[in-house]
Amino acid sequence: MIRADAPLKVRGGVEFGVDLETPGMLHAVLVRSPVAHGQMRALHLEEARRSPGVVCAVSHAELAALLPAGSGDPERPVFPQEEVMYHGQPVAAIAAHTLAEARRAAKLVKVAIDPLPLWGDIESIYPEWPGSDEGNSPRINAHVHARFGEVDRILERSREVLREKYRTSGIVQMALEPHACLAHVTGGHWRVTTSTQSPYGVREDAASILGLPEERIVVEASWVGGGFGGKAAALLEPYALVLSAAADRPVKLQLSYAEEVELSRSTLPAVIRIESALRDGRIAARRVRLLLDSGASLPGRDFATGYAIGFIAGPYQIDAVELEGYAVRTNKPPFGPHRAPFVPQCAFAAESHTDGLARLAGMDPIAFRERHGLRERGLTPLGQQVGPFGLHAGLARAREMSAVWRAELPAGTGIGVAVGFWSTGSSAGGEIQIRLGPTGLVLETVEAEIGSGSVVRGLVVVASRSLGLPPEAIRVERTDTARGPMDSGVYGSRTTAALGRAIQEAALRLLEELARRVPGPDELKLDWTGAQVRVRRGPHSVELATVLTEAERLGGGIATQGRHYGRTGEIDSGRVLAGSFYGYGDFIGAVQLAAVDVDRETGRVRVLRYAAFQDAGRVVDAATYRAQVEGGVAMGLGEALTEETRWDAEGRIENAGLLDYRVPTLLEVPPIHVEAIEGFPGAGPDGAKGGGEPPVIPVPGAVANAVCDATGARVREMPLTPERVARALKLI
Amino acid sequence: MTDPAALWVNGRPYSTELPDDERLLDTLRWRLGLKGTKEGCRTGDCGACTVLVDGRSVLSCLTLTREVSEEAILTVEGLEADPVGRTVLEAFVQEAGLQCGYCTPGFVVALTGLLKERPNASPEELLEDLQGNLCRCTGYLSIRRAVVGLAKART
Ligand code: FES
Ligand code: FES
Repeated sequence: MIRADAPLKVRGGVEFGVDLETPGMLHAVLVRSPVAHGQMRALHLEEARRSPGVVCAVSHAELAALLPAGSGDPERPVFPQEEVMYHGQPVAAIAAHTLAEARRAAKLVKVAIDPLPLWGDIESIYPEWPGSDEGNSPRINAHVHARFGEVDRILERSREVLREKYRTSGIVQMALEPHACLAHVTGGHWRVTTSTQSPYGVREDAASILGLPEERIVVEASWVGGGFGGKAAALLEPYALVLSAAADRPVKLQLSYAEEVELSRSTLPAVIRIESALRDGRIAARRVRLLLDSGASLPGRDFATGYAIGFIAGPYQIDAVELEGYAVRTNKPPFGPHRAPFVPQCAFAAESHTDGLARLAGMDPIAFRERHGLRERGLTPLGQQVGPFGLHAGLARAREMSAVWRAELPAGTGIGVAVGFWSTGSSAGGEIQIRLGPTGLVLETVEAEIGSGSVVRGLVVVASRSLGLPPEAIRVERTDTARGPMDSGVYGSRTTAALGRAIQEAALRLLEELARRVPGPDELKLDWTGAQVRVRRGPHSVELATVLTEAERLGGGIATQGRHYGRTGEIDSGRVLAGSFYGYGDFIGAVQLAAVDVDRETGRVRVLRYAAFQDAGRVVDAATYRAQVEGGVAMGLGEALTEETRWDAEGRIENAGLLDYRVPTLLEVPPIHVEAIEGFPGAGPDGAKGGGEPPVIPVPGAVANAVCDATGARVREMPLTPERVARALKLI
Repeated sequence: MTDPAALWVNGRPYSTELPDDERLLDTLRWRLGLKGTKEGCRTGDCGACTVLVDGRSVLSCLTLTREVSEEAILTVEGLEADPVGRTVLEAFVQEAGLQCGYCTPGFVVALTGLLKERPNASPEELLEDLQGNLCRCTGYLSIRRAVVGLAKART
């Protein structure tokens, strides 16, 4: 079965955000702050406005006249009025007839910003741990704290305690298609077509930023050239919309790759302190303290701490655990979601540390994890029952495979294991409409296919099974937020699981309706022959067209709706001491093995083999699932080995471009053995669980553990660049 | 300076206004409407903008249109009509050598160029030469399967 979008895509025939074009459209450029932290003193747009081809230039001062409710949300200004919070923050925007004209004009903008003290590196701000009185400091965006069991006492009294500090770096999503959108404000309608993972998310966000009612804004997704979390909220849309309002023309805005690195909201650096006590070969207590850079996020809007920290101790049954995290406000773009946001970093620390404990206990690392791994009735550190969970089945397979690798690979090769856990984001709600017409079924959704295959394949396969129609008879039709149906977005490994459930409900309704119209004693079946839909009951069969009402014939068929609003999991509030934690549900286990070769002179790590055993619940489509795991592991390898954003002493990103922000290339990704573990059902259709994010999670830990297995050296900072490995090997 | 220029793309003549400093990528996408060629980094680091000029792979983001106006340009839109190109498209469809599809035009064009230049290249040689093309979605594995399948089918 070929992927439905493949024939179009190989011919370059889909329209991405960057391809959007409409007659009379203007091109926009963002004018960005040259300093990372400062006070706006003056901004002069006159010269830029006089530059050839320029149609309009806007900054904070112009907003009041453009936005019905004044200048929008003061907490999240479109353009800063006073304080500039990060290097490259847009302070003005320009629209001109051509991109070259807009660029030229942008250089003529005079902006004076008085520098303020830089809040840069979190470790300079808090070399140790924030004091207990820091909770209310303007530098702290969030403080979360949970505990159960006698963590202090056990750690104090145990003889074997491993205390470590890990550091993780900032990364960016770096989808190959940069952010791009086309806005058109006309007749009071604020409309934007954009490369997004979440049209409703963009609408909500843009409405709050611009101070507009949500219904005034209409968002439509284009095809999306990769998202990875970076296209789940508004980024460019508010700028393009205000420019279009000012110009009274359609406006196109697209980021350069340098801007992608500088403006994307993604994972920022962190320090993770982790300590565990070992008693009789068991982890008796674990304490993890996270100091996370949350960039220019707002207090109360911190994205990561309360979400990721639930995973930071690992999927283990430990009787005493303490988790504490501070999110520090700094002069970087706000922290944002990046494929399993910050959880690969958590797992890097937890899994490197757990490997160290196995060593201390004199145990095989896989056996050590088998001793502690959560089972169905086990409780996560926040007291959530983990439910059907394929971790142990994955570990068993990893044990077999690592024995095979040991036998086959030359001595000196390092083999590392790591586990991770995650949750299907099926609590994020969604609705879908399906329409059965004479020639086939249409799935109506606002969601675009972002690459994962969850829309063109996942949803289609679920619909196909629910109605007994072949996939060729099913088409996805994209709508906008004015027409709906509502859906939260293509993120959180939720699409096939959550929207799939909505499809199942819609399909059931459709079959019930057909059963009323074509009565009979036999079971109702749908046939699709020669591009015609027929309804069959035993020997009796009619063309669908004959049972449609006049209105349905005009509208293209019988339409029904389905919805799925899952619930968030309950956490044990007795364990929470401060802040709020997110209650995950529908847990997924992931087990991975990496085999590496470490160059003993340069510290360069080459990954030779890779295996991923992933708790799938029930696989909806094998090829798509495999592709998601392969792509996820590859992304994790980038995080493990090369990807990091670096800031200079002035708070500017040093490596804004693909040459210096290194993503994996073709020969750097080894063959990946992908195995779906079935039999531990999740909440998706027929027990499906999410598949797109779990494969990234264990990768940095598995690679680091393999490096340690090969060399005995523990690298406590990711990515494991040659330099860091060489230092751990005491080569430099 | 904007002067009219004649271009020969996918076996068809085009005549268009052409500023001296315009890049081939922009001419193709915005003047000729051939938007299958993708804009990525614009710095020569991603391969998304690959086209063939007289059979050679070039990065259209780094190429001045004026410099190639005499030559035969082949873009992703022209692969269907090219015998080698067609087999490459087919291989990528069969193996689903893509996810979001943004890098795909660059890959299929570059591979077509390689196969035209060296029809008997081994899969390893082809993969070696495709390293300049980045993909963020697939981990390159489905792309490799497409390349290996294609090389096998040809020999
Ligand atoms: S756009 Fe030409 S190489 Fe990236
Ligand atoms: S398929 Fe998305 S970048 Fe290659």
